[in-house]
Amino acid sequence: MPLLGDFCLLFGLALAAYCFVVGIIAFSRKDEAGYRLAESGRRAGIASFFAVTGAALVLVWAALNNDFSIAYILEHTNRALPIPYKLAALWSGQEGSLLFWSWLLAGYALVVRVRHKVDTRLVATTSMVLAGIQVFFLLLVNFAANPFGIMSRVATDGNGLNPLLQYPEMVIHPPMLYLGYVGFSVPFAFALAALMMRYPGEKWIHITRRWTMVTWLFLTCGISLGAHWAYAVLGWGGYWGWDPVENASLLPWLSGTAFLHSVMMQEKRGMMKVWNVWLIFVTFMLSILGTLLTRSGIVQSVHAFAQSSIGAWFYGFLMVILIVCVVAFIKNRSHLKSENKLESLVSRESSFLFNNLVLLAACFAVLSGTLFPILSEWVRGYKITVGAPFFNKVMLPIGLFLIFLTAVGPLLAWRNTSLGSLKKNFAIPAALSLIVGIILIPLGTKPWQSIAYLYSWLAFVFSTLVIATVASEFIRGGRVLQSKLNTNLFGGMYHLTRRNMRRYGGYIVHFGVVLACIGIAGQAFNQEKEQEMGQGDKLTIAQYTLVGHEYTEDDNANYGSRAALLDVYKDGKYITQLTPEHRQFKASMQGTTIVADYSTLKEDLYVIYEGQNPDTGHPIIKAFINPLVNWLWIGVLVVVLGTGMALVPNAAQLKSPVTVTAAVGAVDSAGAGGASMRPAGARK
Amino acid sequence: MKRAVQLLILSLALAGPLTAADNNARYENLGGKIMCTCGCGQMLLKCNHVGCPNSAKMISQLHAQVAATDNDDEVLNFFRREWGITTVVEPGHHGFELIAWILPFAGLALGVALLAIVVHRWRNRPQEAKASEVKLDPHLETLRARARQETEI
Repeated sequence: MPLLGDFCLLFGLALAAYCFVVGIIAFSRKDEAGYRLAESGRRAGIASFFAVTGAALVLVWAALNNDFSIAYILEHTNRALPIPYKLAALWSGQEGSLLFWSWLLAGYALVVRVRHKVDTRLVATTSMVLAGIQVFFLLLVNFAANPFGIMSRVATDGNGLNPLLQYPEMVIHPPMLYLGYVGFSVPFAFALAALMMRYPGEKWIHITRRWTMVTWLFLTCGISLGAHWAYAVLGWGGYWGWDPVENASLLPWLSGTAFLHSVMMQEKRGMMKVWNVWLIFVTFMLSILGTLLTRSGIVQSVHAFAQSSIGAWFYGFLMVILIVCVVAFIKNRSHLKSENKLESLVSRESSFLFNNLVLLAACFAVLSGTLFPILSEWVRGYKITVGAPFFNKVMLPIGLFLIFLTAVGPLLAWRNTSLGSLKKNFAIPAALSLIVGIILIPLGTKPWQSIAYLYSWLAFVFSTLVIATVASEFIRGGRVLQSKLNTNLFGGMYHLTRRNMRRYGGYIVHFGVVLACIGIAGQAFNQEKEQEMGQGDKLTIAQYTLVGHEYTEDDNANYGSRAALLDVYKDGKYITQLTPEHRQFKASMQGTTIVADYSTLKEDLYVIYEGQNPDTGHPIIKAFINPLVNWLWIGVLVVVLGTGMALVPNAAQLKSPVTVTAAVGAVDSAGAGGASMRPAGARK
Repeated sequence: MKRAVQLLILSLALAGPLTAADNNARYENLGGKIMCTCGCGQMLLKCNHVGCPNSAKMISQLHAQVAATDNDDEVLNFFRREWGITTVVEPGHHGFELIAWILPFAGLALGVALLAIVVHRWRNRPQEAKASEVKLDPHLETLRARARQETEI
């Protein structure tokens, strides 16, 4: 089987390389022969997906069948490992995760190549760019990080999966992140292809809008699942530690968010063309940089299990991408001329500009803080640690300003906003947020007491402002349709949303983001307490009292565990029993914490089994009160819902679909929407 | 004269508690920049787990250092020397480490400057690009119209 896997990988590389090379030839020849070459390249690209799928299946089969002759399977699985985690072994190690990355990329490229009739010429060049990226990753898995390395001696059992990864969310968190990282390859490839071909108009944006949103959604889900996993498994009471690898996932998310906003400027007003092209270039490069940071070990991280010495490959790849992007831009920059000018500084356009500026400033702040230890090592010879306190100080003000912009932006009209209309739209939301701010003070959020309270208070006030503006947009539009359609306000709001899913889906996303911000703002009021607890001992934190009820031990083939059964009382009334647990995995000899969480909308009672006092034999229990944290997860769900809504076509569109065809001067008489396919870059 | 002596005594009486309060704030502030070295991954003042081999010693050292010197950088450097460079997780506010603090805001300032230039150029453009210069297919115009419609009521 390992030989079959190796063969599939090599075959996949050959097919992707063929697709890439003939794509370049076809792009330069621009004749009928070139067209045929491009078509054969497209087919080879499709075939490469099946070859890489074959390799991935071989690795999964080997994991399920305990084939410990393969070094990767030996390192990342063992016989007692449950089947879902054996499947997860595909992405739990260096070599497997790169194979998984290659497979996802081949899958995305397959969809692009199969749907080539959307614009045959543009897709042909896009396919060439995607093939170039495929070649890099397939070179890696063939020659630098081969998952089918064979052991000289077959062991009877494997080393097992990292215990931290043996958690249900860990089965889906990495695939989601990878779908996000890899997904940005598609809009990047379209943007680069459109620039190289000097493709007029915004067609590449129209084609890739859904790609970008789906990719952004995957990345959002991946980041959120990672945060939830950290909260539920790592047992330190938090969900975001500003670890370099966490930061690496945040970088393309921030620039991707900026891109999703700024493309609207190009779509509606033909502005910011250079900016948009570079934004998607940068987003893709940040995805690769994220992988470099995760894999190379150049920064210290809790994700050290994925580190190896393949950093040089990524440095080289990043350099190549940068050079290609710069050259393509310099050669074709005249093509990216803006069609309109900014008419007023108080307009939707300027709010998008500020939004992009702040998002990219946040991105740069995270990047500079993450890379500063490397810079300090070059300059001073030692690594200066840049941890959570630094990022909190720098990022919280930026984040607050972003929430403020989220509130103000939708109230501004395109082109120009009069002061009168701004006052009219802003008065009620501003008054509401002020009232909330005043109410919060007697409830305990006193902004003058500490900087954490000040940030928290501002977050609540600005979040109210966003919620009020979103609500006012729905109500105002709903009222218009209410009278037109002779329905009630909710009916009007429903029809309003169905007629304009993209806009109102976007508002729901904003609503979700502020719900998440409310969850984060609650951190300022966290409490924690730890003590040794024998049977009948009590631990009191806030209005909760934990009473030691029973202590148990368990043992199975995969791990041994110790757990505490704790009765929980709130204001003297019994409410539930919590069971924090500590597991010791046999194969890896590593321990992990299983958190017990009593979660309400107001707060979480978060309890961990910290360990055992060796002198008394009593368990050590640590309890946290984490206010409002549930709103973070609810906010993420609302973001998913809003993005899903924005992806659904409008009711009017469903009735009369707009046919996507190509631009004048870019497509020959055969037509992009036609059955025939012309070579990349070909002209009549 | 008597009044001056009374004022002096009052000042001295107040100075003691004020210094103590100041040191307490410094202790809290510095404790939030130092990480416990036991491997728990928590900040020093947050690490309170029973049996931690290092936090008690580090906390007593922090108390002693705060009392011994008014210079926060000296305190942080003491911990770097004693417990390793990675113990302090926040860059200092002087010398090379200051760059870490300046960089994000320099980035923002650069962005604002670039934005000002772009906006200035846009606003002072003599006239808009003629529609005829940008040859768009009617279908693309339809798409752009749809985009306008999708982002407006």
